[in-house]
Amino acid sequence: MMPESTIGRFCRLYSVLLYAYPPDFRREFGRPMQQLFRDRCRDLARSPGRLPLLRFAIQTVGDWFGTSVRERAAAFWSAGRPLARRSSVTEWALTLVIYLFVTTTLVQAYVVPTGSMEGNLLIGDHMFVDRLAYSDPGPLGRRILPYRDLQHGDIIAFLYPEDIRQTYVKRVIGLPGDRIHLENGQVLRNGRRLAEPYTQHIATFPDPYRDKFPTAPAAFTTPRGRDMFEHHICDGEVTVPPGMIFAMGDNRENSADSRYWGFVPREYVVGKPLLIYWSYDAPTADLEEWTVNHAIDLAQHFFTRTRWNRTFLVPHSQAAQEIGGAR
Amino acid sequence: MATPTHEFLPLTPPVFHILLALAPEERHGYAIMQDVAQQTAGALQLGPGTLYGCLKRMLAAGLVEESGERPDPALDDERRRYYRMTPLGRSAVRAEAHRLAGAVTVAMARLAGETV
Repeated sequence: MMPESTIGRFCRLYSVLLYAYPPDFRREFGRPMQQLFRDRCRDLARSPGRLPLLRFAIQTVGDWFGTSVRERAAAFWSAGRPLARRSSVTEWALTLVIYLFVTTTLVQAYVVPTGSMEGNLLIGDHMFVDRLAYSDPGPLGRRILPYRDLQHGDIIAFLYPEDIRQTYVKRVIGLPGDRIHLENGQVLRNGRRLAEPYTQHIATFPDPYRDKFPTAPAAFTTPRGRDMFEHHICDGEVTVPPGMIFAMGDNRENSADSRYWGFVPREYVVGKPLLIYWSYDAPTADLEEWTVNHAIDLAQHFFTRTRWNRTFLVPHSQAAQEIGGAR
Repeated sequence: MATPTHEFLPLTPPVFHILLALAPEERHGYAIMQDVAQQTAGALQLGPGTLYGCLKRMLAAGLVEESGERPDPALDDERRRYYRMTPLGRSAVRAEAHRLAGAVTVAMARLAGETV
């Protein structure tokens, strides 16, 4: 069911949550609490279905919030000395900082606004993005945090290079040095045809630009896309330059991706989709901006339009098989 | 310790069930959690914070004590901290059980004839 690496990630998250407890309590019980959390995760990973996981997640968050506040309060009242009292005020401040740290540095909430990853991610999937997964922790952090560089088939969230106020989610198709081109909508990487089980092909009309990429820049090719056409095309293939990524949506015929706007710089990668916490069937415009209408729609249809079966789904990276066809 | 047992009564449900989990043998945290879930047919699922928060207070009150660290052969070879019930803990849980039994007797008498 749930792979050991996902459990590892949950445990890391939990170990950070432990900072909400008073230091004395954390020192005394932090390690056994982590053990208990991990043991329970492992147990649940063996049981089928996501419902037990969902219940566990809700229970854990409730338990964490309730008991961290309680232990903080206990530490506050048991500290008789005025000096200790003052320090427990800073402790409360620290707790607040931790809450903020978790929501800004470790994870980021994100909504899928378009159907470009359809098949795997739907419009209205609300998810957490793991911001640590692909951020280089530096030579020292590398020893502490499990760090893995990007691989083919990874799903990434990144800043849209043409407008970094927007975050996009696509799949890594080409890494530096890869030669990419498409034939009849099929990707060939370094001359080898990819069997991509994660893609969805909804044939609309034939579009050579899209299906026989790279041909020639078109009117809708963005400036960065034109730059790619100008400098990185050789023998009908695009070569991914160092520090760049060629990313495509799984919904190949309906995805504005690297074919149109060029490469994603490595440093624009925000992280890896960790978990869908809520999936709500709503139009794109409503997801990008909160409006009164959306709030009313939500109040009326929360239970019917929430896709319950997608709750707590973990989007997976998936490697494509390279099949023959080498040139 | 000279603390009179009745000072602890009534025990909160987590404390009561943790003591019951430790009545037959010493256990580590996860085993306590599993046993409590079993005792209550899954109704009481102790989270890590609840469990260790209770244990902290029970250690301070002398109801339980640590009995060292060692691996659980059934799980893996990681060392786990085991807890054991003290004689004071045993008399406290006994007193609580008596108190509850008394309450149940009253309830049965008053509600006689009704399906409880």
